[in-house]
Amino acid sequence: MALGHHNDEKIVYVGDSRVPKRNLENVPPDYSAFPGRSEAFIPNFLLKEWMVGCVALVGFLVLTIAHPAPLGYQADPTNAAFIPMPDWYFLFMYQLLKYPYVSGDYVVLGTLGIPGVAFTALLIAPFLDTGKERRFYRRPIASALMLLSIIACIYLTKISWDHYQHQLELTGTTPEHILREEKAREAAEKAAQAGQNGGSAPVDPADLPLVQADDPAMSLMEGAGCLQCHAADLKGQGSVPALRGTGDLHSKEELVDIITNGQNGMPAFEGNLSTEEIDQIATWLALQKAPTE
Amino acid sequence: MFKGIYNWIDERLDITPMWRDVADHEVPEHVNPAHHFSAFVYCFGGLTFFITVIQILSGMFLTMYYVPDIINAYASVDYLQHKVAFGAIVRGMHHWGASLVIVMMFLHTLRVFFTGSYKAPREMNWVVGMLIFFVMLGLGLTGYLLPWDNKAYFATKVTLSIAESVPYLGPYIKTLINGGDIVGAQTLTRFFAIHVFFLPGALLALLGAHFFMIRRQGISGPL
Amino acid sequence: MSNQNNSNEAAHQPVKRKEMSRRQFLAYTLGGASAFMAMGPVLPMIRFAVDPLLTKESQTSFVKVVEESQVTAEPQEFDFQIHQVDGWYESDPKLTAWISRDEQGNVFALSPVCKHLGCTINWNTQNDNEYHCPCHDAKYTKEGKNLAVAPNPLDEYEVEIRDGFVYLGPVVPNQHV
Repeated sequence: MALGHHNDEKIVYVGDSRVPKRNLENVPPDYSAFPGRSEAFIPNFLLKEWMVGCVALVGFLVLTIAHPAPLGYQADPTNAAFIPMPDWYFLFMYQLLKYPYVSGDYVVLGTLGIPGVAFTALLIAPFLDTGKERRFYRRPIASALMLLSIIACIYLTKISWDHYQHQLELTGTTPEHILREEKAREAAEKAAQAGQNGGSAPVDPADLPLVQADDPAMSLMEGAGCLQCHAADLKGQGSVPALRGTGDLHSKEELVDIITNGQNGMPAFEGNLSTEEIDQIATWLALQKAPTE
Repeated sequence: MFKGIYNWIDERLDITPMWRDVADHEVPEHVNPAHHFSAFVYCFGGLTFFITVIQILSGMFLTMYYVPDIINAYASVDYLQHKVAFGAIVRGMHHWGASLVIVMMFLHTLRVFFTGSYKAPREMNWVVGMLIFFVMLGLGLTGYLLPWDNKAYFATKVTLSIAESVPYLGPYIKTLINGGDIVGAQTLTRFFAIHVFFLPGALLALLGAHFFMIRRQGISGPL
Repeated sequence: MSNQNNSNEAAHQPVKRKEMSRRQFLAYTLGGASAFMAMGPVLPMIRFAVDPLLTKESQTSFVKVVEESQVTAEPQEFDFQIHQVDGWYESDPKLTAWISRDEQGNVFALSPVCKHLGCTINWNTQNDNEYHCPCHDAKYTKEGKNLAVAPNPLDEYEVEIRDGFVYLGPVVPNQHV
């Protein structure tokens, strides 16, 4: 402590403590003591920074209100059709692991090798780039390496995203969180309509009775494996819809198309079932309507 | 009256130098966007901190409704988003804030890199900053699983299979993170604990070190 | 930034009013900006947190328990199920009620939760025509009046008689003693 040099100076403490009695020299100099166009942190500079902050906050709140956070359906470990996708900032890693020499026998290179080297280099960058020069155009190696990594990450992210979109198109899948929102909107519209007509609240299709439950189509469906996903009582399970009440949602032609070609993760049954069998099942499913009073 | 209370505390704890140091320290011209518009790149660090504060707050409020349990986690998220007033906004803030914090931190890192601000004597602050970056990625990774929807579940399975590919230690790491053989109830509680207690604790400590070093060394000089 | 320009212009003019210094003005503006930045995110969160206070309490509906003709002057134990919605968790817990008739023949139903420390009471276990709690020997009369240990009489369910059936509603403090 600087105080130690002045042995003649007596330090007076506040009560029985180690806090010295007010020593005005201890207060740091005011910002005005500094030369040039420096200014105080509070309020001058912070105000400018927080003007930027206010703009960012408004943008952020608008984004939040305009786009609700996505939520899919409850996790179902048996769902084989789901296309997994990490958050966007991990996509470059996700994509990297798809390339040869970083996957299969060399997967260690992809999971530990390349990211390990890259992140370690980033972590100890000040000890690798020890020159005095700070301007980026005067230290071409460091700047070039950084630029290349950024471009590589952006490229990998884009490829990965495009691939995902392509896969969605190929399998005719709508991402769950979008599907869910659409369903919720439809249900709300239906409820509003029912309310206008003085009708009752919407019924859960799983509560509907089966129409002509002893139809041979039932055993056909059992044989084809429909019941494994749509449940033995046709009430559906997880994100798989109930087949009770299907007739209210789809016409017979639509049902033939869905069974033949698949939809939203449901496999195509063309080949497993003959056209006549599909027709028979679709005819029966189209009869599954809510009873009219 | 406030002045009286302040003086009473100040006499005993001598707090004036502390806040005067924070409030009145000089900010040089070259980082001030009012003097050079291009200096807005120096704002990214502050914005990262601002969004981090929003993340911590919104996270604290989300735990009022959320339960880390495989049967109820999804239902509680569904409930808090669709049934509770402003739930969509609070969860939205936490969801989009997570992405935004990564973006801001990325921009802040690039600013520090391209202005060469990580060079001596600020090497330690760069290392601490990178550790903050890793902690943030960890928070993003663990937070992704918590709603327990299909996206969360299958993305976590991918992450775990990446962890498993580490030679020799892989299977052990996987079991440790999993809390068992499968991604299930114990994985969810583990990720919840890491997301809510372990990583935020580390984050606060690192942020403290980050700010302390900035105040000690001041901002890097003009180029 | 516009702020800076404004204050520069102000600096060129002779200062007429001394009420507010440049520094004070900046401090007030900063205070306003801080308030906005704090309130923007925090207000939705507060509304989110106090939501249970502001949602209308769902009316506990009455549940059909037993035929009125089965209720005697001697208390009998009846189980019934209610549908409980607890946020995202819906359940059908079983509740128990001791139902009997008072001297005027009116049906009333007592909650079996002892008012001492919350154990479950039982009728006439010591052949004294009293409710008895096994934990600390609390005793109640047939009307639920506390005789020993317990500080308050037993709570009762609201009772409704419709079409010859007893319907039980929410738990209320004892009205008979």
